[in-house]
Amino acid sequence: MSQGKTIVIDPVTRIEGHSKITLHLNEDGRVEDARFHVTQFRGFEKLCEGRPFYEMPSLMARICGICPVSHLIASAKACDSLLAVKIPPTADKLRRIFGLAQVTQSHALSLFYLSSPDLLLGMDADPAKTNIFGVAERNPALALDGIKLRQFGQKIIERLGGKRIHPAWIVPGGVSAPLTEVDRDAILEGIPDALAIAERTLEWFKGTMERFREEISTFGNFPTMFMGIVKDDNGVTFYDGKLRIVDASGHVVADGLDPTKYSDYIGEKVEPWSYLKSTYYKPKGFPEGVYRVGPLARLNVADRCGTDRADQELAEFHELQRTAVLSSFHYHHARLIEILYCIERLEQLLNDPEILSKHVRAIAHPNALEGVGACEAPRGTLFHHYKIDEQGLIRWVNLVIATGHNNLAMNRSVLQVAKHFVQGKRLSPGMLNRVEAVIRCYDPCLSCSTHALGQMDLQIQLISPQGEVLDEVTRN
Amino acid sequence: MMAPRLLIVAYGNPLRTDDGVAWRAAAVLQKKFPSEQAEILTLHQLGPELAENASRSECVIFVDAAAGPGRPGEIQVKELSSGEDTESSALCHAISPSHVLALAAQLYHCRPRAYSTTVVGENFNHGESLSPSVEAALPALLGRIEELSTQR
Repeated sequence: MSQGKTIVIDPVTRIEGHSKITLHLNEDGRVEDARFHVTQFRGFEKLCEGRPFYEMPSLMARICGICPVSHLIASAKACDSLLAVKIPPTADKLRRIFGLAQVTQSHALSLFYLSSPDLLLGMDADPAKTNIFGVAERNPALALDGIKLRQFGQKIIERLGGKRIHPAWIVPGGVSAPLTEVDRDAILEGIPDALAIAERTLEWFKGTMERFREEISTFGNFPTMFMGIVKDDNGVTFYDGKLRIVDASGHVVADGLDPTKYSDYIGEKVEPWSYLKSTYYKPKGFPEGVYRVGPLARLNVADRCGTDRADQELAEFHELQRTAVLSSFHYHHARLIEILYCIERLEQLLNDPEILSKHVRAIAHPNALEGVGACEAPRGTLFHHYKIDEQGLIRWVNLVIATGHNNLAMNRSVLQVAKHFVQGKRLSPGMLNRVEAVIRCYDPCLSCSTHALGQMDLQIQLISPQGEVLDEVTRN
Repeated sequence: MMAPRLLIVAYGNPLRTDDGVAWRAAAVLQKKFPSEQAEILTLHQLGPELAENASRSECVIFVDAAAGPGRPGEIQVKELSSGEDTESSALCHAISPSHVLALAAQLYHCRPRAYSTTVVGENFNHGESLSPSVEAALPALLGRIEELSTQR
């Protein structure tokens, strides 16, 4: 790297977790390199060692306050493998309901609370206004819809799991309690309003895309592979299936992969400048094996959603490009289609005649010393891999988190946006907001929910090699 | 069924010693207030969704713990207004009670009577029990909340 200047964005705002971005300029003042640094250390893979395996779902749920249900599901599935049980069909369906509710509320948080300020007010808007209050001021109906949709998902989680954050309902072998008729009917009652919100938000979003042509062409718009779990019919699923990988042209690279054998084809690399590991597709090596996961990837790898309205929207989505849909800006669009799918699928599952069965847990002792659980979290594919000893105590844990799959792509996206929008020796809030906004497209979950409302402690200085402050952006 | 007129929002982390005092108070209040009279929520943090709960209430009482200023065990009560400055917040993990009220006013055109009741804590390390000073303050905290709930 040449001896130039460095711009630091610390912290990155309106994402989940703690991170910073550094932009390295060359002697001509143009962006030469960019890094997305995850600055928080969690250590869950080590602190679980020695714990009884059956504690793992509850422990793992505490990795995150936004997507604990995904960790519950992946962890419980790993524990199911340790028990060597097939969980009752009703438990399978109830876990799916739990997961769908979480995807709905998590996607709603991402779209309405974190990204809609940019989409509604513009990338160059006053940072004091780019928050839920600014949205409420400009478009109260949109803010209300966001609150209602998030509540819809949260209330399902609360009804089934007892609380909205870190519910302990999913357990090894199934779930801890059946669904009551009262709860089922209450959830079904909320479906029509939730569907209506999803539909009108999709229409609103599609209407805004014309304003963001420059962002669409520069926000992570480059070829990568895409990976996701799909059902046997190559339909979207969040709970269980086989892994599918497609390339940027949309051609299948690998199909029918067993998620429990993830380490055969997914490699992990540690970088010295971030606590977030980078994963890559092993047959292509590092970094050529870069791929993306999450909503954009899921809709690229799947042939269908399996519900009426979501399938119509998916067909329209696939028409955006003749290849796979490449621009990471389209994560927002994919997220909205997934919300629609989740609500439709919830209705199907809740109307299943077996959904009120009391048989919801398989009971066993450990019958295997190694187990892997995989699912699709809101942000992408999630793996939990455990090894236990003869007493059932955890001896080794490996977690491959959805956001880690996207690490390489996020870094490339930041570089692409910075090269296009950060120019010269003057910094503008709009330039830097776009650098942050491309990260928000991926909706990374850096294990802690952090929301900045308007003014945030942020200072960026552009300093010459001689130590002279060429420009400075300060917020609060 | 009519919505309860009183909303009590007890928030904090019950695994961080004194930060769990609001949850402890909520557990007692659940037995004192029938569900038709009060909606009592126990949360880790506040979120925009609370604006909807607040909009359906005549009185909202937020309960939490704080590291200071003040002496451990001290109960600090403040009447809140939905017109309070909501733009002076720095980077934070959640929105504040004032933000919740501001959203309730902006989106639902409702301005319930609202208070924050904060207990000054002395220990926020990992743990599930309260420090002696905060434990001793619990009856007084409950008394204050009950007083506030009856004020007009």
